[in-house]
Parts: sequence; structure tokens; C-alpha cells
Amino acid sequence: MEHKGFTIWFTGLSGAGKTTLAREVEKRLRARGMKVEVLDGDVVRQNLSKGLGFSKEDRDTNIRRIGFVCKLLTRNNVVAIAAAISPYRDIRDEVRREIGNFVEVYVDCPLEVLVERDVKGLYKKALAGEITNFTGVNDPYEPPLNPEVVVHSDRESVEESVEKIMRKLKELDYLPPAPEDVYSEEEAEVVEERLRSLGYI
Amino acid sequence: MGLFDRKKPASTARRRVFMLGIDGTPYTFIQRMINEGRMPHLAKVVAGGTLLRMNSVHPTVSSVAWSSFMTGKNPAKHGIFGFVDREPASMKVFIPTSQAMKSPTLWEILSAAGKRVVVINVPVTYPPRPVNGILIADFLAPKLEKAVYPPALAGTLQSWGYRIDTDPWLGHESKDKLLADVNLVFDRRVEAMFRLMQGEEWDYFHCHIMETDRLFHFLWEEMETNDPVYAPRFFAFIQKLDELIGELARRLDEGTDLLIMSDHGFCTLEKEVYVNHWLAEEGWLKFAVPAPKSVADISEETIAYSMDPGRIFINLQGREREGRVPPAEYERWRERIIQGALALRDPDSGKPFFRAALRREEIYHGPLIQQAADIILVPYDGFDPKGSVNKGQLTYKGPALVGMHTYDDAALVVAGRRIAPARTPWVADVMPAILELMGAADPGDLDGLSLLD
Repeated sequence: MEHKGFTIWFTGLSGAGKTTLAREVEKRLRARGMKVEVLDGDVVRQNLSKGLGFSKEDRDTNIRRIGFVCKLLTRNNVVAIAAAISPYRDIRDEVRREIGNFVEVYVDCPLEVLVERDVKGLYKKALAGEITNFTGVNDPYEPPLNPEVVVHSDRESVEESVEKIMRKLKELDYLPPAPEDVYSEEEAEVVEERLRSLGYI
Repeated sequence: MGLFDRKKPASTARRRVFMLGIDGTPYTFIQRMINEGRMPHLAKVVAGGTLLRMNSVHPTVSSVAWSSFMTGKNPAKHGIFGFVDREPASMKVFIPTSQAMKSPTLWEILSAAGKRVVVINVPVTYPPRPVNGILIADFLAPKLEKAVYPPALAGTLQSWGYRIDTDPWLGHESKDKLLADVNLVFDRRVEAMFRLMQGEEWDYFHCHIMETDRLFHFLWEEMETNDPVYAPRFFAFIQKLDELIGELARRLDEGTDLLIMSDHGFCTLEKEVYVNHWLAEEGWLKFAVPAPKSVADISEETIAYSMDPGRIFINLQGREREGRVPPAEYERWRERIIQGALALRDPDSGKPFFRAALRREEIYHGPLIQQAADIILVPYDGFDPKGSVNKGQLTYKGPALVGMHTYDDAALVVAGRRIAPARTPWVADVMPAILELMGAADPGDLDGLSLLD
């Protein structure tokens, strides 16, 4: 069944959990029969934005390209999920204006935690000066001022963060009804009791 | 040319169909009742028409079977695979309703063709989807106020004392209480049916009797063993059903086809079989909590889990919340579990539980196949695979639930027409035949097939 398109834009420092959350949200939306495409920053830089570096100009170009693809998908009733550091506020806001149906998710995680985690080993290198223009260490990150959702990946489980995002999507009326939305808790109890009495549960 | 020959002329006059659903009433039982003279009215209808044996669906439960009837399709096209299901990414358990049904129903197709319909109590019609006419939803409705389209009719039904369903818990308290309630709900339903038949315009009328299934679940064994107290009361209800059929046959005019069908058969339950207990014993199912309530509580160590009845899911990486089995090992595990299930025996009698363990692609085809269980167990009559997660034993039989569904014993009665299909029909074959009888176009993507071609 047709649903409306929109873009979920994950922004946050490297290693904060953008890709993990994007993939989990993707699964949830697919389970509802929605068409979903994930544009992961790391992957995009290997094809759509191959050759671009990490200067502000190149970063802006990268984000505009991702934003452009998200816009095309959104207007064709696909859910586009972008997971990219996207450190600059003005360019994120520009992409938001272009797309319209835009849900910004700020994946917040303190730098100390990320340095401690350092899944990709990049923070160690950046702190040692082996990587320049590394967001959060020696390149700026401008947190969103009014994101639709803020998740705290240092103190929330993936499940909790995903729930938070799904709740917002529901509130914004982007989700087709899920099976579990048919019943209120009380009603579900009534029907489950009936099924239980017949041995179906 | 479809399921039916044209003994009755397909004149230009408007043709109507009345369908009486008698849930779970077996073909073989109907034959027996006719032979024993216990259903004289039905016998008369069959004598002037046809009684056919039909196959049901896998798994053999009413939600799946009636969904296949009303859509004319297999579950991988309509999306209803059981009375409960799970969303793999979250492992949330939910009850599939009409909202999960991804295919138009017979009454929606007829509505779009300008026919007027009245549909009462067919499983998986809640929440009621709009039709050109009236739809009163089934026992998946939590209350009558929300079960009716158009909603304004709910008050009228209430004033008639209409009940959605028997309270099956009564059957766990006492068979007498259940019998009383089954009779009461049946009487109220039939009363509402006759009022709507007379008071409404209709081209297609469908009244679904769920009370047969309820009675059979709790009293089938008493009937089969000719229990001195309960068998007569069982047959008294059957007589009442027969009188209803007689009254319908009397009231319906020449331009109306009377059809009567069931969605599956019934037999005496020998034992419930707790598939999750077996999986746990094999070390393939583990729970994250000491007192699990549903499959939502499985731990990440789980290889496979089961939902009612006999649907086994592999805990697959990338699909389930904490999938353990990598896609590369999926087939190996499926094979291992299938072999294990087929080798399972009742420890008391040594009888095998399952006649087959089917891979989903063996029985389903269509865009929703990914939602189906990976393995569907087909039990021998008598062994009822259940999806409970908290049973400390492999099998059980209690005093309350003594009947279970069977696959190959559903029935179709067609008044006034002789049919001799070349193969055994299944429940989805009825819908295209109704479309044909009523002169409505076949939507073209049905799995139900003409039996005369």
C-alpha cells in the first residue's frame, strides 16, 4: 500500500551510532511494508561522492548530493534514511528546506565516550594528529538547534533510541498503521484472552 | 465456466448468493448426520444439489482459511498466516486483523461492482473495512461498538441482544455453561441475520456461524464417544442448525443460490503438542527471562521458535531482533529441524506427531512469503501443535479442549446445482465461483481455480 515519502536524517559525530540506528529503523519500516533506502555517509563517499575530501566545501558538496538523492526518493514516496556526520548546520537546514518532509535525528554522544569506544580506531589517530579535519577533534561539529529527535547513544539502548524515533514518526503521521496499532492495550487484552481460551496463544 | 454448472439458467435477472458459513463442520460429519437422519433439511438440500469435500489451508486455522476464502488467494498473497504473528525486527507479538490483509475481499470486489452485501461474523473482518452494505466483524473485535460498518448499526444490533462470540472461557468452567452460551449466541445471531435479510437490500449475504467451532472444540469427544449427557445436547444443537438451513432453503427465492461451507474439519484431540518445549529440549530455543510470556522473550542464543499452530521460525540474522542463524546456515537448520520434527514420537503411544514438515515455499507463493514461517508442521489428526512458551512438558490433554481442526475434511454444499470437480477443491476455489455466479469480474490474480476446466 502506498505511503508518503520522507527523509530521516541522522547527524552526529563519527562512531555515535548513526548507521546502526539507520539500519534498525530501516528494518522496522520495512516490516510495515514501506519502501526504504539508506544512504550511509561512509558508503556514499566510495561512490556518489568519490574523490571528495573533508574541507568545508567538499563536505557541503557531499551533503548536498546525499540531500539531492533523498529529495528524489522522498518525492517518489520512498523513505530515505541518511546517516552522515553532516557537521554544518546551514547545509543541513538547506537540505531540510529542499526536501520538505524531513526528520532530523541528532545522535548525541559525548566526545570522551566516543574516544573511549573508538570502534573504527579513528579517534586515536586523529588525537595523535595522524588525521586532520576530523570532526569533533580538529574540525567543527554544529549540533542541530531544533532536531525532531535527539537520541543519546551513550545512555540509551539501540532499542530505546529506535522506539523514540518510531514514536516521533508516528506523531508526525508518517507511518502507516502497524498491526499492533489496531488495539488499545485494554482491547488487546480482551481479544488475547479469547484466543488464549481457545488455545491459540 | 467455473466451479458450478449452469443447471440454473444464468438469466439476465439479478442473481444473488446466500452463504452460510458453518465453521469447522467436517464433510464426513455432515455425511454421517445425513445418513443418520439427524439433518433432514440439509439432506434435502444436498439431494437436490451437491456436497463436496474440500481441503483447508496450512496451518489449519480459521483466520487463515477464511482469509483464503474471502480473497481467493493463498496466504503469501493475503498476508494472514495465523491468529498470532510477530514483527521480526522487534519480536513484538500481534494479532493479525483485517488491517494486515493485503488483498481485496470478495465483498469488497462485489461492492466495487455495484453489488450490495451483508457480511456477518466472518473471521478476520475486524476492524470492519467499508463495503457497499453492512459488515459486522468477527470475534477479533474487542466490542460490538467497534465491530460494525456502518457504525450506526451497532446500537440496533445491541438492542437485538446480538453477541459477537461465545465466551470460550465458559468451556473451561463447565460444558453446561458453554452449551448454554453457544445456544444463546447462535439464537441471537440467527435472529439478527433474519432481520437483516428482510430489512436490507442485498445481492450477497454471508452469515458465519462460529458456534459450531466453539461447540466442537469443547464437546467433539463427547459426541464421538456418545457421552450419555453431552452427546444428546450436542446433537440438539446440530438439529437447530439443520432447522436454520431448512428455514433458509424455504425463504430464499429461485434467483438466489444457497451455499453452505466450512473452512476445516474436526476430530478428537489426542494431545496438544508443545513445539517450543521440544525446541528448548533440543537446545535450540532459549528464553531471556525465567517466566516467558511469548516469543518476544526469546534470547539471542535461540536457533528457532514456534508460534501457533506448528509454525516454526528460524531466528535469522538480519531479520529477527537478535538473529543468531547466519543466512548461509538457514537451509542447514531448516533441514535439521524438519528431520527432527518428523522423527518426533509421542512418548506414550510411539505414534509420530507430524505427517509432514513443509518449507514455506512448498505451499505459499506470492509477495508476502517473507512474512511466513520458515517451516509449517502438518500434524496427524489428533495431535495439535501449539505455540505456548511456558509449558513444562511436551504433550498435554485437559478436560476442556477436546477437539481439533483437520485439513482435508472441509465441506461445501451447493443447493440446486450438480458439481463434479475433477480434483479436490480447496477453500479458495469457492470465491471465484461466487463471482461467476453473480456475474462479477474475476480480478485476475486469484489462486482459486475453476474446477471444470
